[in-house]
Amino acid sequence: MTEANDLAEAAASADPRIGLRAAVALRRLADALEVLQVDNARRQGWSWQEIADALDVTRQAVHKKHAGRAVPRQEG
Amino acid sequence: MFERFTDRARTVVRLAKTEADDLGHPVIGTEHLVLALLAEEGGIARGVLDGAGIVHAEVRAAVEAGDDAAALRSIGIDLAAVRASVEQRFGPGALERAEPAERGGFLFRRSKLPTRFNNGAKKTLELSLRVALSLKHNYIGTEHILLGVLKEERGSGGRLLRERGLSYDGALDLVRAALRDAA
Repeated sequence: MTEANDLAEAAASADPRIGLRAAVALRRLADALEVLQVDNARRQGWSWQEIADALDVTRQAVHKKHAGRAVPRQEG
Repeated sequence: MFERFTDRARTVVRLAKTEADDLGHPVIGTEHLVLALLAEEGGIARGVLDGAGIVHAEVRAAVEAGDDAAALRSIGIDLAAVRASVEQRFGPGALERAEPAERGGFLFRRSKLPTRFNNGAKKTLELSLRVALSLKHNYIGTEHILLGVLKEERGSGGRLLRERGLSYDGALDLVRAALRDAA
């Protein structure tokens, strides 16, 4: 409940600096999570089309963004 | 461009890197120049900052609060909890490693990328030179770096100082007074 209130508060924040800073941080977090899970999917043998469908983007888009990266083996 | 820098001004530039390293920030920005000015003992800039009641520990805390973790907390997202959940499945450091290399370290401020100056800090050092020339000084001291930081209007370093009541014009008056006293 507190978190929902915080979210509502920040979303309605009159100070653009706070709101925009949060948007940037959120984008970075989302990008990192995407990389992590795309690698995870590749390790599990998913096709680019399957990954693209899950991400709700085109196969070309996901291939362009992620195919150049070596998939690290899972650690830990 | 560092040949005209005084020893103390060079130390400030070097300390800016130390400040960024200590915070785990991969890039040196104007905020690290401000922290370096506050860390260097003696010098005209330090005198002006002390006079304005601006102290290192408080500014450092403000810089730290500008991290992504704090920004995410403002919209109700607990970055530590996200990381813990990811690491439970993918191992320690998994989220940091997943951050795109060109952004490396911004999310968790722990990059091992070579430290370098961002555009704001570069512009600030250029402005320091220009301020020195406009004052007809043939050297760049800590006071010129301070004025450069304040002149770079979009930099976070200047904002940190302005938020604490130090304006460019105010600092310029204090610098002039200090130079008069020293002469």
